Amino acid sequence: MNSSTTQGNALTNYISKKKLLIIFAATTLCLSACQKDLLKTDPYGSLGSTNMWSTDNLTDLGVNGVYQALRLNINSGGASGREMYQFDRFVTSQGRDADDLLLGNATTGNGNFSAVWQELYEGIHRANDALLNITAKSPSAANKKARLTAEVKYLRAYFYFRLNQLYKGVPIYLTPVTVAQTILPRATEEEVWKQVLSDLSEVINEGELPNRYTKGNANYGRITKSAAYALRGKVYLYTKQWELALADFQKVGDLGHNLFPNYANLFTEANEQADEMIFSIQNLPIEGFGSTTQFMLGTRSAFGSNWNTYNVHNDLVDNYDNLDGSKFNWDKVIPGYSTMDVRKREVFFLRNNLTETEIRNSSNRGLDMSLYLPTGNEERIKQAYANRDPRLKANVITPYSEFLGRIIEGSERIFTSRWPHRNESGPQYDLTTDTRTFFYYLHRKFVYPGGAPIPSRTAGGIDFPLIRYGDVVLMEAEALAELNRLPEAVAKVNTIRSRAGVGTLVAGSNVQLTKEGVTTRIRQERRAELANEGISYFDELRWKTLKETIFYTGSGIKQIWGAVVIPYVWSGDELYTWAIPRVERERNTSLTQNPGWQD
Amino acid sequence: MKHTYHFLSMFLLLVFCSHSYGQNYTVTGTVKIASGEAIAGASIKIVGASTSASTNAEGRFTLQVEPNATLEVSYLGFLTQKVAVNNQKEVSITLTQNESSLEEVVIVGYGAQKKENLTGSVAAISGKALENRSLTNVSSALAGQAAGVFVRQGSGRPGSDGATIRIRGTGTLNNADALVVVDGIIGVMDAVNPNDIESISVLKDAASAAIYGAQAANGVILITTKKGRNAQPQINYTGIVSMTQPSNMPEFIADYVRHMELYNEGATNIGQAAPYQQSTVDLWKEKNKDPNALNEFGYPNYVAYPNTNWGKEIFENNLIQNHNISVLGGAERVSYNISSRFMNNPGIMAKTGFKRYETRANIETKVKDFLVLGTQTFASIENREKGNVDNLFNFLRQSTPGVYPFYDGKYGGAAAPDEAPILNNLQTYLDGTSGKDQRTRINSTLYGRLNFMKGLTLESKVNYQMRMQEETSYTNPISRWNFNTNSIVAEGLIPSSLTTAQGYNKNYTLTFDNVLRYSAEVNKHQFGALVGHNEYYYNYYDFSATKRGLIDASINNIGSGTEMAGITGTEYDRSMRSFFGRVNYNYANKYLVEVNVRRDASSRFGSDFQWGTFPSFSAAWRLSEEPFMQGVNRYIQNLKIRASWGKLGNDAAGDYDWQATYGPVNYSFGGAQTAALRQSKIANPQLKWETSTVSGIATEFNLFKNKATVEIEYYNRHTSDILTVLPIPLTNGTISAATVNAGAVLNRGVEVNLGWKDQRGDFSYGFAGNFAYNFNQVTKFKGKLTEGWQTVNNAEVYQSNIGDVSSGDLNRILEGYGINEYYLRSVYKGDGSYQHSDGSVNILGGPESGMIRTQADMEWVEAMKTAGYSFSPINNLGKAQLYYGDLIFADLNGDKIYGNNFDRRFTGTRSEPKYTVGFSANMAFKGIDISMVWSGGFGMQYYWNAEGYNNSIVRNGNGIATRIADDHYYYNDADPMDSKNSVNGQFPRLKYNGDNINNALSDFWLYNASYIKLRNIQVGYTLPKTWLNNLKLQNARIYFTGENLFTITKFPGLDPEIGAGVGYPTMRQYALGLTIGF
Repeated sequence: MNSSTTQGNALTNYISKKKLLIIFAATTLCLSACQKDLLKTDPYGSLGSTNMWSTDNLTDLGVNGVYQALRLNINSGGASGREMYQFDRFVTSQGRDADDLLLGNATTGNGNFSAVWQELYEGIHRANDALLNITAKSPSAANKKARLTAEVKYLRAYFYFRLNQLYKGVPIYLTPVTVAQTILPRATEEEVWKQVLSDLSEVINEGELPNRYTKGNANYGRITKSAAYALRGKVYLYTKQWELALADFQKVGDLGHNLFPNYANLFTEANEQADEMIFSIQNLPIEGFGSTTQFMLGTRSAFGSNWNTYNVHNDLVDNYDNLDGSKFNWDKVIPGYSTMDVRKREVFFLRNNLTETEIRNSSNRGLDMSLYLPTGNEERIKQAYANRDPRLKANVITPYSEFLGRIIEGSERIFTSRWPHRNESGPQYDLTTDTRTFFYYLHRKFVYPGGAPIPSRTAGGIDFPLIRYGDVVLMEAEALAELNRLPEAVAKVNTIRSRAGVGTLVAGSNVQLTKEGVTTRIRQERRAELANEGISYFDELRWKTLKETIFYTGSGIKQIWGAVVIPYVWSGDELYTWAIPRVERERNTSLTQNPGWQD
Repeated sequence: MKHTYHFLSMFLLLVFCSHSYGQNYTVTGTVKIASGEAIAGASIKIVGASTSASTNAEGRFTLQVEPNATLEVSYLGFLTQKVAVNNQKEVSITLTQNESSLEEVVIVGYGAQKKENLTGSVAAISGKALENRSLTNVSSALAGQAAGVFVRQGSGRPGSDGATIRIRGTGTLNNADALVVVDGIIGVMDAVNPNDIESISVLKDAASAAIYGAQAANGVILITTKKGRNAQPQINYTGIVSMTQPSNMPEFIADYVRHMELYNEGATNIGQAAPYQQSTVDLWKEKNKDPNALNEFGYPNYVAYPNTNWGKEIFENNLIQNHNISVLGGAERVSYNISSRFMNNPGIMAKTGFKRYETRANIETKVKDFLVLGTQTFASIENREKGNVDNLFNFLRQSTPGVYPFYDGKYGGAAAPDEAPILNNLQTYLDGTSGKDQRTRINSTLYGRLNFMKGLTLESKVNYQMRMQEETSYTNPISRWNFNTNSIVAEGLIPSSLTTAQGYNKNYTLTFDNVLRYSAEVNKHQFGALVGHNEYYYNYYDFSATKRGLIDASINNIGSGTEMAGITGTEYDRSMRSFFGRVNYNYANKYLVEVNVRRDASSRFGSDFQWGTFPSFSAAWRLSEEPFMQGVNRYIQNLKIRASWGKLGNDAAGDYDWQATYGPVNYSFGGAQTAALRQSKIANPQLKWETSTVSGIATEFNLFKNKATVEIEYYNRHTSDILTVLPIPLTNGTISAATVNAGAVLNRGVEVNLGWKDQRGDFSYGFAGNFAYNFNQVTKFKGKLTEGWQTVNNAEVYQSNIGDVSSGDLNRILEGYGINEYYLRSVYKGDGSYQHSDGSVNILGGPESGMIRTQADMEWVEAMKTAGYSFSPINNLGKAQLYYGDLIFADLNGDKIYGNNFDRRFTGTRSEPKYTVGFSANMAFKGIDISMVWSGGFGMQYYWNAEGYNNSIVRNGNGIATRIADDHYYYNDADPMDSKNSVNGQFPRLKYNGDNINNALSDFWLYNASYIKLRNIQVGYTLPKTWLNNLKLQNARIYFTGENLFTITKFPGLDPEIGAGVGYPTMRQYALGLTIGF
């Protein structure tokens, strides 16, 4: 390189250095000035709160979100223990394992106490948020806003109702609150009922709310006046205002609800919008929109390879009357049955044509094999279930009854519940459970028959009824009985029995026409009619009959013949009221504990 | 994309607006070292003038000088040399290495610094420490290498074996991971081939890390990869073949008869029906007598009546292969390092391995004398097998010995009728899913360096890095067989129920980084300054779809699925903008000061709270340079003291946590799906930075003529405004609590590094040890704990606000205690006297072991209850409640209830070590070299109560750990003489399906988890030069190396390094390696 170009380069170099510095400074400034949006990021999959409730569509979606709180207890990985039907494990159902509340082992740290509390309050806060913003922000039409407000108020009332059923007196929040504000002490049980009644009355008085939706309506599943009457009537049962209860229940019928003619077919997708249904959790056979009943109630042989987490308690089976309405008695089927050693009754349930090994094993278990009929054993036991209240067959898979189940060896199969279990595959197709060495009654209600009835075991499509007219009729009977209008009460029960196809109650024959006698029959009827619907446990709490019904001496998780697998233990009267969750009392020290619970 | 475009255009502007320049009398020269290798980047100054130059990639320089000038040539790590020009046009200079290790150059944030001139706390780990180890990842290699750097490898699973690194303890309640910077750009360790690493620096204090400001609160790990140099291309091959085995395995009862008996014991203990029938037990007993006999279907008894040892069954020994080849070199104006690696790590379980291909190109070219352009580009592809390890470890304890894994092409199912038909067969989790899992990384930096004038340079970088994962997944229909009935217990899914899925996810970051550096030296004054600017954008998105119903199990492309089962997708992003600067000053290498400041803005905060400022100040005094120390230097060399103070930040909030959002949920009306929205997280518009204030003081010196090095440091790190989510009352519902700035944590500690190096003739050896003590305390959270007796309504009530002021349960966060200290009941300890002399019950006289073991113990419990005391969690006596073989807990608050929640106390211990240590040693004699590395943690405890592994619950379908089976309480109250009675068993009685008493959180399950591990041992032999010359090789070394050879610990679990749980075990490796240079 020669010296003249070097000179020239030095000059341009000087200029370029200056230029470069300017460019650098400009770049830096420009990047921070021009690119202001670099630092502004917004979520891609959710909506900022400033926009929420600001359009008609968003108002709808917000209200839908309140409804969705009804589904918070659904867990698709295994039983949460908090879905409505799962509460029946305390009464007409039984778990494969026992709940701590049944073992005398529950503590205030019990996960169900805290989760139920939390989920119901979530619903309440969603409702409060909606109530405020429908008024304050939503541009929807006034009549629509009025209807939505009524719907949301109903839902809030429903959540408080559920809380009060279990915890009896909880803090009341009626407007959106900050975390710092959630420190209220408990209101009394009466104050909560008052709040629930006040919301429900406003709902009933809302002119924009339809009386009810009929089958096929696009709005089906939304709150209606009939639902409000039904729930308010139920609350009146809690507050023992029988006349008021009666009036509301009658109103439900007046608005056009009636009993569906066929009990067994009622709990199917085809009839989920029958006139009997008043308020139900909406399910669709789509992943994320369905129910889990197939998974928790079904067997391995039902579609989806299920867990039979919950089975039917044999007290419920024995509770079903004979077809003619008389009380079922084991001794009439098998003389001496009720007085013999419970464990030895197993012999009557054995299948025909036992193998030598099976016979040997049975004798080793202490069974008197002289009572075994090698070719007629099944026929004998089937008689016990043959002439019974048809609801038994509708709700329960009894021994040697059939179930149309999953596809094996190429097609869907009819499985039979047999004992002892041998093999799920052909030619016998024994109904197979996860509890093959115990013989249990199994659920049929809310279990989907067939080879592939739903997309998956956690996507059941049947709407889950929260209140149906059958429940209302029996509550009506209960109110009538309390008012000592006994024949009317019996007549109400008989409408239910007639629909079911079982012999009606006849005074002096199968019902004593005393307040106690009628009440006893109503309670029995409710257990039979509403089995597996998430109602019976709350009934027993309300009636304070838990101890006698569930914790009698010798109670427990039982095999079909009554042998106790896991005994229940009554720990005390505190079981009538759930404990305030321990963690919640730690975070809000103004919450008092319910009597009998030790933190 | 808008960001990409912008970044690129700016970069091009900066790089190409330039011209060349020059001067008059020209001297050219070459700078080399003794071996003849040229030195690039050496600095050449004219003595007494301000002109200077530096050597190019070939070690050459050109300078305009006076003919009689003297040149001063300097290069870090070498002695400075003066050369007279003496009218020569061409000079050749050979530099000699500065023997003192203190001349070592350490990479620091946005620069390099002589170790002796550091004012902050930086631990430097040379690439040599990682060389020749059979490493599957970089992070675990740091274990034991530096004081205050604690490394814990939580899993040995190929591809998920990256270790957790904690620098100076855990300073926050959220993400405490150190920032990783690779070649100046924020990145990840997985995107580095260990063989490419030139050096690693760990920035431990604010003085060194403040230049990374808002992301540096947990320390910074700087990784520098090897660059090319101007020399003959050197080709290096390194190959390692490593035999692997699990370092430990869980042990379960494999004898099915014993398993069944223990389960029946657990059920009858609590009054429940035995889950296994006697007929099944008898059948197995009989068949076990002749395991090889064939049954009627031709299956041997050991298959038809299995006794499977799952803890062993799932593991296998394998071979890891690791091949690395690199070419390092340069030519005129260009230098390069091109390398690639192939690794096949099959893991220690079938179908869990991976194969990875990596390549790197570091290429630099000197476009003009003042302009350098270059790239550092890394790419890798990794193919993983689809074995479902997560499920497998979830179900490892949920498996019984009564299932045979695999025989004659068939998978075993439940063999006994007493079991649920779908019992876990772990083999099916490894074999049940097939498909592709391919992960691709690309990390490319394009950079330019402009030299405006002497001492002033601008460096600009644009980096794009991305990681994407492409996945397909389809189920293999597996039927499970009962070999004793020759029938299928669980039939595999039919094609119409099979699913196939395909998914894709990707994250990418864009970084634009500009640094302007200036340095000057006048007489003894050295001055340096730097200003910089950085923009950063991160984005993640995914998409996946599933279809159900295949034409046939063998046809599994998603297009062939018949029914849509689901589609999902998500996306999120974040960004950051920063400005930073540094000034340092050094007088005569004696007095050193440095100031750093960084201002960062993060998109994770609302616009009013986005900016944070993070300054640091540090100073050092090298006493040994003082004239008055000359006498002392004979005994103590290179004595230095340094001190620093600074602030660092952490923005570890969720990406959008400051805003309130409504998220979608599902509902339906009238049989039609509908969208629904609900508030998902509570907003906090005031959300802002978390700040750590760090100060430290240290001294460094050498002894015995620099043979021994000593470094002692004290630090104090206080983190405040910690980003965390505080627990909110359940009454707020299921909404996620707000992220808030709450709480403060103090970490304070001492670090000591000691080293020794010596050489005697051909024999050289060295030791290095490091030790760190860390004290950790939450200094602010939600208020003080107050507990005690209070009078409420004329009654004395014990009250505690523990739930209000703390979070957690087993581990709590509470003011005045360490982060996540254990909070537990104590097991009752009595003196066994039962009664006072007057016959009344002695509350201190209960069972000595705290367990109801004897009738006398039980009578004491009854007497206590009669006297008004009660026991918690369960007070009722009975087989299913409190009974023989159950624990009693101490009543620490004196409320007469033994073991309720108020009786829990802080143990003063955590799962993190108080003391960490590392030790390494090496020696070499002629061609032989030996080295080893140890590391460990002390003063930590683990709470280990895990069903199937370490508690007394026997649950449906689970296994039972040998340690429980062999040493638990059993008492047959119907037969006190029962030979099975074991009233001295350590563990509580077995209970079927649950246990509310013995599982109550208590110190019974707390174990000392201190450990020390031999990480690595290496024996190598370097072939003599004379042999190599014949083979035309530059160098060659063969070596044996072992990883994770053994652990010394009292912890009874799998591996204290993994934690209390059981997961994919770390691997023990024995490897043979070969390194050849051409």
